Amino acid sequence: MDFEPSDLIVGLMMAALGLAGLILASGAMDDEMYVFGLSLFGFACVFDFGLLRRHFDRLEANRHG
Amino acid sequence: MADTALPMARPAPDYNEAVVRKFVIATVLWAVVAFLVGVWIATELAWPQANLGLSFINFGRLRPVHTSAAIFAFGGSALLGTSFYVVQRTCRARLFGGTALADFVFWGYQFFIVMAALSYVMGFSQSQEYAEPEWHLDLWLTIVWVAYAVIFVGTLMKREEPHIYVANWFYLAFILTIAVLHIGNNLAVPISMFSAKSYSVASGVQNAMIQWWYGHNAVGFFLTAGFLGMMYYFIPKAANRPVYSYRLSVVHFWSLVFMYIWAGPHHLHWTSLPDWTQTLGMAFSIMLWMPSWGGMINGLMTLSGAWDKLRTDPSLRFSVTAVGFYGMSTFEGPVMSIRDVNALSHYTDWTIGHVHSGALGWVAFISFGAIYYLVPILWHRRGLYSMRLVSWHYWIATLGIVFYITSMWVAGIMQGLMWRAYDQFGFLQYSFAESVLAVHPYYVIRMMGGLMFLTGALLMVYNLIQTVRSRTTQQAFALPGNLAVAGE
Repeated sequence: MDFEPSDLIVGLMMAALGLAGLILASGAMDDEMYVFGLSLFGFACVFDFGLLRRHFDRLEANRHG
Repeated sequence: MADTALPMARPAPDYNEAVVRKFVIATVLWAVVAFLVGVWIATELAWPQANLGLSFINFGRLRPVHTSAAIFAFGGSALLGTSFYVVQRTCRARLFGGTALADFVFWGYQFFIVMAALSYVMGFSQSQEYAEPEWHLDLWLTIVWVAYAVIFVGTLMKREEPHIYVANWFYLAFILTIAVLHIGNNLAVPISMFSAKSYSVASGVQNAMIQWWYGHNAVGFFLTAGFLGMMYYFIPKAANRPVYSYRLSVVHFWSLVFMYIWAGPHHLHWTSLPDWTQTLGMAFSIMLWMPSWGGMINGLMTLSGAWDKLRTDPSLRFSVTAVGFYGMSTFEGPVMSIRDVNALSHYTDWTIGHVHSGALGWVAFISFGAIYYLVPILWHRRGLYSMRLVSWHYWIATLGIVFYITSMWVAGIMQGLMWRAYDQFGFLQYSFAESVLAVHPYYVIRMMGGLMFLTGALLMVYNLIQTVRSRTTQQAFALPGNLAVAGE
């Protein structure tokens, strides 16, 4: 199986944290919490897309190599 | 015959070097940011108009940006990166937890730094020194730190070497104690889940005591124990000599971690903290001379028989000078913790000079030595692009530190003496504004010292970029796959 378990665990954790960021931003009472919440959501999205990209890069490399 | 045969060389595991490379890049980047902001706020202190009347770049907001960038961004990235490098090499094991977890620690830590800096310039702070981030950022750092601890401890547990090398003991003390300190000092109640504002669960002198239990042990376990771990790996490797006394390293490790934790009250001399607590902090601070100098002696004596390398290897010169500064600042610290000395030194620029002899001379120099050692290895180059540039960096930075700390010594002692001077009628002889005016020339000298240190760092950046990109540093042949150079 060409699949690292930590990819799944860390990916799910980041998804949950990103969602928490979105919730924090939605009810933010000050600028700081709004910026932090949205940034956390953005960070989680980019990180998870990075994990997906690396997974498919690895599959492709195995197919060709 | 079989008994005398050499053991078969084991292939090196597939180390995770990508995350170490990222941390090295982050270390260099944050070094420049930290020094640049430091020079800027030093300029603001000498010429306050330099804040341009903008609230987000006034001294009060940029000062924590500078300290956090220096300690947590530059120092932290150096510690996390080198600890990942050292634990893999000395345990002969790839990092535990897979690539994703290591990447999470790297990017999560960088996210914390950027978010913390942004919150400071927006005016949000817990107003506790070195613990300025508000509760939501503290929670985020806790998650990242737990992941870091899982990777480090997990790698130790799956090691293929029977022994845990002493550098890992220092890194482990750094990781575990910082976790305890960070959680203990940041226990706070937010006014709402959706607000960044919070209040500490402790108040008054208890809050101050917890803050300086945290603050001084951030010095002890972040800026001392962690960097001693760095020293115990990179000086023997660069000098190609074994540690002078392994027994001394173990003895000074245990005495250091036992004593440091009690020294915090010396930050609160002559306050409402009970006298016995102040005396306790002072006594343990003075006892700290012993383990601190144990480490210094061990670091310096590791060069026995290899002192000539200081002439030819300026990057090793950084590491050894760092140990010298470590000895000097760990001598000065206990002196300043003596209550009667503290009566003169506290709240003056002497303290700022002391902190910078440790931060620039010890922390930054030992990190520069490690970076100069690591970059050619991590990017598979023959060596550094220019040793002459390393030498220039060394001398400019050293001179910068000398300017900085001597000006702050003079300014600090002068401030202390002016503030306590009485005239024949029992009135204070000088107003506070007069003491500010008196130290102005020394603030300018301090700014110039910082500028020199920044210039040296920029030379390092150019040299490292050229080391990675220049054809002159390419290896004659590339090693295939995961093979490593013997001994690496």
